[in-house]
Amino acid sequence: MSPAASLHRRLLGGLTVLLLLTCVLLLLQSWYSAQRSADRVHDRLLSSAAQVMSDHVSWRDGRLWFDVPASALNMLAPQGDERVFYTLVDHKGHAVSGNADLNALMSPLPTPGTFRTVSANLNGLSLRVGALGARLTAWHHREPYTLLVAHTLEARRAMTLALFRDSSLRLAGIVVLALAGLLMTLRLALNPLAHLRTKLKARSAHDLSPIDMSVPRELQELLEALNALLARQRQVRIHEQRFIGDASHQLRTPLAGIAASAELALRSSDTAHWQQALQEIQGGTRRATRLAEQLLSLTRLDSPQAPLTRQPVSLETLARETLIRFLPAADRAGIDLGLAEHCPALTVQGDDWQLEEALSNLIDNALRYARSRVTVGIDATDRVLYVEDDGPGIHASARAEVLRPFYRDQEQGPGSGLGLAIADGVARTHDGHMIMRHAANGDFMIGLHLPETAC
Amino acid sequence: MPNALRTLYRTALIMVSVILLIPVVTASADERCASSPGHMRCQGKGSERLNIQGVVEADVLRPVLEAFHQRYPQITLDYRDASRGERRKPEGVPRDVDLLMSSAMAQQYQLANAGLAQSLGDGVVNPVWPDSARWRDELIGLTHEPLVMVYRRELADMGPPPVDHASLLTFLNHHRNALTGRIVTYDPARSPTGFMAVAQDVARSTEAWTLFEAMGKADTQLVDSTAAMLKGLIEGRYLIGYNLMGSYARRAVQSHPELVLQVPDDYALALQRLALIPKTAPHPDMARRFLAFITSSEGQQIMTTRTPLGSPLPTDDNATPAATSLEPIQLVPGLLALIDPLKREALLHRWQMIFTPHDPAGSHADTGEVE
Repeated sequence: MSPAASLHRRLLGGLTVLLLLTCVLLLLQSWYSAQRSADRVHDRLLSSAAQVMSDHVSWRDGRLWFDVPASALNMLAPQGDERVFYTLVDHKGHAVSGNADLNALMSPLPTPGTFRTVSANLNGLSLRVGALGARLTAWHHREPYTLLVAHTLEARRAMTLALFRDSSLRLAGIVVLALAGLLMTLRLALNPLAHLRTKLKARSAHDLSPIDMSVPRELQELLEALNALLARQRQVRIHEQRFIGDASHQLRTPLAGIAASAELALRSSDTAHWQQALQEIQGGTRRATRLAEQLLSLTRLDSPQAPLTRQPVSLETLARETLIRFLPAADRAGIDLGLAEHCPALTVQGDDWQLEEALSNLIDNALRYARSRVTVGIDATDRVLYVEDDGPGIHASARAEVLRPFYRDQEQGPGSGLGLAIADGVARTHDGHMIMRHAANGDFMIGLHLPETAC
Repeated sequence: MPNALRTLYRTALIMVSVILLIPVVTASADERCASSPGHMRCQGKGSERLNIQGVVEADVLRPVLEAFHQRYPQITLDYRDASRGERRKPEGVPRDVDLLMSSAMAQQYQLANAGLAQSLGDGVVNPVWPDSARWRDELIGLTHEPLVMVYRRELADMGPPPVDHASLLTFLNHHRNALTGRIVTYDPARSPTGFMAVAQDVARSTEAWTLFEAMGKADTQLVDSTAAMLKGLIEGRYLIGYNLMGSYARRAVQSHPELVLQVPDDYALALQRLALIPKTAPHPDMARRFLAFITSSEGQQIMTTRTPLGSPLPTDDNATPAATSLEPIQLVPGLLALIDPLKREALLHRWQMIFTPHDPAGSHADTGEVE
């Protein structure tokens, strides 16, 4: 599983994108405002130049007269390299003087006393044209006229660029500061996470104690979950240690018996003693083997590596066959082992080996504690495979405990203490559970409830 | 003149000049440059061509043109002096011209201002070329020429010769009878350069009109070019010439000791001969090559030593006391005001009011480009 994008990168990425978006918007805004400022300044220049020129318009020899001032033309080229145009138009709309026909670029011409600007194109040159409407101020001549002035856009562009460059530089400075601040804030904000990480890394594999540190609210839940997990791990560890201790203890008992018998026999030269010792050794070996087998079964039940293979199992056949295997042992113990009178057919989806193991353990257990009778039966309605005996049974208060490995009702009983644990393991593997109760006739019943599976 | 007739006239003119050229070509075959009055042609080995139109006599520019031809022998060079031969309207640019040179600064400025010139190109012009002689990478001032007075030595017999505008006015008023008909200057109606000179004089101070009126009373002769003025001065027809191109005058004075060149002490307008490459130029790259050549230190060396033209590059010569009164005409939009149609009309009208009795109006009908 590849790791998801880092929290740091996500935060930084999101905030940076937001920051850049803001930057783009600000840059656009500053470009337009720079353009507006440059236009305003230079439109005012056009207006002033036209005003100055209008001072030189007069009436002479029965016609409009214009003494174009060189200074006004120079004024129109603040950078020196703009192309400059002007036209004087009389009240009939005829161009009287000038170096271009600017009156064709603006219509209608402004009324006297007003000034108007327009962007236009003259023979492929981009121009800004300003038109001043005015009126002669002589006593006898009050004809209106229009003065048009125009220049190319170099100065405007230069000013726009200069203004834009300034504001962009300012913005760049702000962005650098903001990014630095952002990085620092992120580092500070994510510091507890790094702290937690180093603390976890520094921990030894055996240290399952709760993590004790103060963390921000967002991390509190994570820390609580971690601590809960650690607590469960501690519990599991304790169980495992106890299990291993119990298993060693249980294995040691038969092995110690074997060792003692062998030692006694070696000291004696009587063959009868040897015979008895060999029998004792055989019994001890059986018990040890049985214990080892049970331990193996229990481990296999707990192992996630051995998946349950489900197949239809007829419980009746299973009960009958298992029963037959235990008949010799029951005979030896003088116990009447048999199938219940009414034994309905019931088929479950399950692992026949596991079910047989569970039943064997239940029968084995029952044979140990029964006084005279053990019955194997099937309850089709409740889907229970059970074993009844007329022994003392298990007291209600101890019923949960007996399912734990190495728990035995009587401390020095003959069993290993694993039988019920195995049966319980099988029941749980089959999604069921153990059932224990005293029947109406006083017999103790223990069984596996095996629910119907989905398939 | 109807168009067809004009074309016919032009064709005839070219044919005449071609016929005139043939003997000259054979005479200087090694140079491969042939000149006739108003025209010069250097036959190149290659197919590249360069057409230059100027208002300087071909002879004046000859050393520069020849040096260029020697450097680029593959280019066929045609130089046409627009002050001679066919006249054209001052507005607009002839279509076959690659490089247009003129000292009529306002007209040249107007052409470039109207967007009729193309960019001179990067790295063409010598980088040390002064900014005051350039505009927008479209106009370049190739020469720097003060407008001067020239008088004959015998003028000193009447009294101390004039050294500035005011003393010229006094001198004219004192010796009007002796000077009548013997003063010469440009005719602003026919020569754009002359118009520039008059308009600048007037723009600088309206007192100039007093001088012009005095000149009118003295029956001042009006001619087309500095060359004509110098010719008259050399021949002794004129005693004083006013507003002559300094470059020509200096050359004439060198070979004619009877002439004295006077740079006015109060102010001497300095004209620039402006060059531009028209948008319609058929061979703009050749024009750029020529500009690169003429503005290079080599080209300037030839121009200052072998022609009477003055370089705009700063030299020791410019630092002489006389040069301090030089007032260069700036390349600014204000130049447009000089040739404003109404203003031009008014100025010429007033000028003619002063000079009319001796100058029939009919001769002003054709305003060709003359110096």
